[in-house]
Amino acid sequence: MAIVDPIINGLNSGWLHTDGSQLKENQQFEADVVIVGTGAGGGVAAEILSQAGLSVIMIEAGQLRSSTDFNMEERVAYPNLYQQAAAMKTSDKAIGIFQGRSVGGSTTINWTTSIRTPTEALAFWEQQKSVKGLSRETLDPWFEQMEQRLNIHEWKFEPNRNNAALKQGCINLGWDYTVIKRNVAGCWNTGYCGMGCPVNAKQSMLVTTIPSALDKGAQLFSRVKVVKIEHHNGKVLALKAQALDSNSKPTSVELMFKAKHYIMSGGAIHTPVLMMRSDVPDPHKLLGKRTFLHPVLLSGAIFSDAINGHSGAPQSIYSDEFVWKNGVAGELGYKLEVPPIHPVLMASKLLGHGKEHAEAMANFNQFQLTIALVRDGYHPDSQGGQVRLTDKGFELDYPLTETFWRAARRSFASMAELQFAAGAMKVMPVSDGMPYFTSWKDAKEGIEQMTLAPLKTVVASAHVMGGCPFGEDEKLSMVDSYGQSHYLENLSVMDGSIFPTSLGANPQLSIYGITARNATALAQKLTDGREPQ
Amino acid sequence: MNRRTFLLGTFATTAAIALGVNLYSPEFSSTDEQTEGKDYRLLFSVLLPVLLDGALPEVASHKLAAQNRTLDAINQSIAALSESQQDELFQLLDMLENRLGLLVLTSSMTPLLMRSPSELTQMLENWRYSYFSLMQTAYLGLRELVMASFYACPEHWSRIHYAKPVLFK
Ligand SMILES: Cc1cc2nc3c(=O)[nH]c(=O)nc-3n(C[C@H](O)[C@H](O)[C@H](O)COP(=O)(O)OP(=O)(O)OC[C@H]3O[C@@H](n4cnc5c(N)ncnc54)[C@H](O)[C@@H]3O)c2cc1C
Repeated sequence: MAIVDPIINGLNSGWLHTDGSQLKENQQFEADVVIVGTGAGGGVAAEILSQAGLSVIMIEAGQLRSSTDFNMEERVAYPNLYQQAAAMKTSDKAIGIFQGRSVGGSTTINWTTSIRTPTEALAFWEQQKSVKGLSRETLDPWFEQMEQRLNIHEWKFEPNRNNAALKQGCINLGWDYTVIKRNVAGCWNTGYCGMGCPVNAKQSMLVTTIPSALDKGAQLFSRVKVVKIEHHNGKVLALKAQALDSNSKPTSVELMFKAKHYIMSGGAIHTPVLMMRSDVPDPHKLLGKRTFLHPVLLSGAIFSDAINGHSGAPQSIYSDEFVWKNGVAGELGYKLEVPPIHPVLMASKLLGHGKEHAEAMANFNQFQLTIALVRDGYHPDSQGGQVRLTDKGFELDYPLTETFWRAARRSFASMAELQFAAGAMKVMPVSDGMPYFTSWKDAKEGIEQMTLAPLKTVVASAHVMGGCPFGEDEKLSMVDSYGQSHYLENLSVMDGSIFPTSLGANPQLSIYGITARNATALAQKLTDGREPQ
Repeated sequence: MNRRTFLLGTFATTAAIALGVNLYSPEFSSTDEQTEGKDYRLLFSVLLPVLLDGALPEVASHKLAAQNRTLDAINQSIAALSESQQDELFQLLDMLENRLGLLVLTSSMTPLLMRSPSELTQMLENWRYSYFSLMQTAYLGLRELVMASFYACPEHWSRIHYAKPVLFK
């Protein structure tokens, strides 16, 4: 059965798309609103603003790829769809970071888990971070709207064996677990979400909000990187951009974009980087600070029967047993989930080399992987990372504190307990020098004694948040609770960079819902001059 | 004669030249003179059998094919890295091709090609468990590059019983 490719069809129907690599001369473009980045924030903003009758330009540094290109191979997906070919790391190399870079941003490659912002996070932001108007009651209608728009429903099918082990462990231990809601329509349950959905079932921005904005006459630039926000006297005057060639290297072509209003949606890290590089006013030196990752620890288990962690919806069960257990600002909590298991992902995260590594890989199909996502940014000793500009771009320092390592140790113990309870034959915390344990009792003792350290203990992240926080107090925030800059009257930020802490939940739905609220308010302001209430 | 047959046909001498060439320029290569056109195939062909021991096929001809396939994939992987990552990697690889660099990283000037598999294993283990983060990152960088490149190739999936589904006939 042939799969309809909505992107190819849309382009044939006359969508306004410009591939920067094809441009030969410098040019200037204008619209009511220009949006930088087409991920969770940029996509939702583009749809809402173009539906309000505003002319919209979307600028994306990555390329336009679609289901026809998604061949379910990591060697194609990572260089084409991920920032730094999925090999991005913090400056000390201790944390590997996954982020998207193509039309649709990280939503093109994410794993579809959709969770509303936890009430605890909203309350903390209100009380500690001067965020106004984002309570359960005010936000839930926006989440509902986005859940309908993106077809977000509880996953009705059996979890794959990787997720089923998480569920079984929780049942046997009496721990909390939840069936995940996913943004999919007509999912084939193959398990390749991280490489772009080959059947367009994932309701990423690539197949939902971006086509809808383009249908309304919005213009899309791919392979165009915004390099500078030109501003003067509290107002943005233009965005300067570079066209990129097919290898993502800048060509000599420079583009200028002008608009009434500018929206930054380049994602946490890139939005702050662009703002820092452009010297936007930042009197309290907040840009790039408090970048959060939900740093992730991994625990591998071998089961006697096949797990086939590559096959089936990658995430369908999570456990919040330990997320808020020690109080919001107490010892760091962690969420338990599983990731999809594919050869490159597994081979690069497994430790050692030679026979040791080969033997571990030989168990590929019996391997169950549980992950703990540490909720950072609430405890006083969890200040996250800091993005700095360098000659060649940027780097992210992310110190792993003692408080983090305490959470890591607790999470390794929880994961091992869970995996044994689910029937694992042996369990290995993914940290160099750790053996496979064959019983929960041994694992417990071993984990109490284990050495945890950067570069030794594998830490990864696919959730990047913060660096350009929202709120009303200028000492704590760069933009207000609607994403409007405190300093530049025609600039807003709508992406994961606005969160003043991590979320304690997978970020996409938080970004969709909060952007829907903020972009709707902006559309009102731009169309009839009404300020948000 | 294409590049690969050339390399394989004259492996020993070419390798000696490539890995010994820096004998006469003991200073570390600067970032400027690296990059474009530089090929670290020989260096990797020495490290691959050790890093991928147990994963490479046993039959000699298949093993050679898998190694060559991985060397191609490594070049592709490097090309996909960001400029600053490439710079860091090239710095490391240049050090490994350079006697003084080798001395810093391995406490010995003996070119890698002239070391036995067990000596190379020892070198990698020393880096892995080193107290210096430079050594540890060198180890992790090389290891990840090689593992990711090897397992990216569908030709190498049968051993782990992995295959992507056929969606459309
Ligand atoms: C592998 C993976 C799995 C994930 N799984 C889940 C999940 O299951 N559930 C969930 O909730 N979240 C998940 N996430 C995270 C989620 O997708 C992100 O948090 C979310 O998409 C972030 O939205 P954003 O708008 O902040 O940025 P992004 O979606 O990352 O989009 C930013 C875009 O801006 C572009 N850009 C940046 N700078 C510039 C510039 N200067 N000029 C032009 N363009 C620029 C980038 O190329 C990118 O395409 C996952 C992420 C990854 C990588």
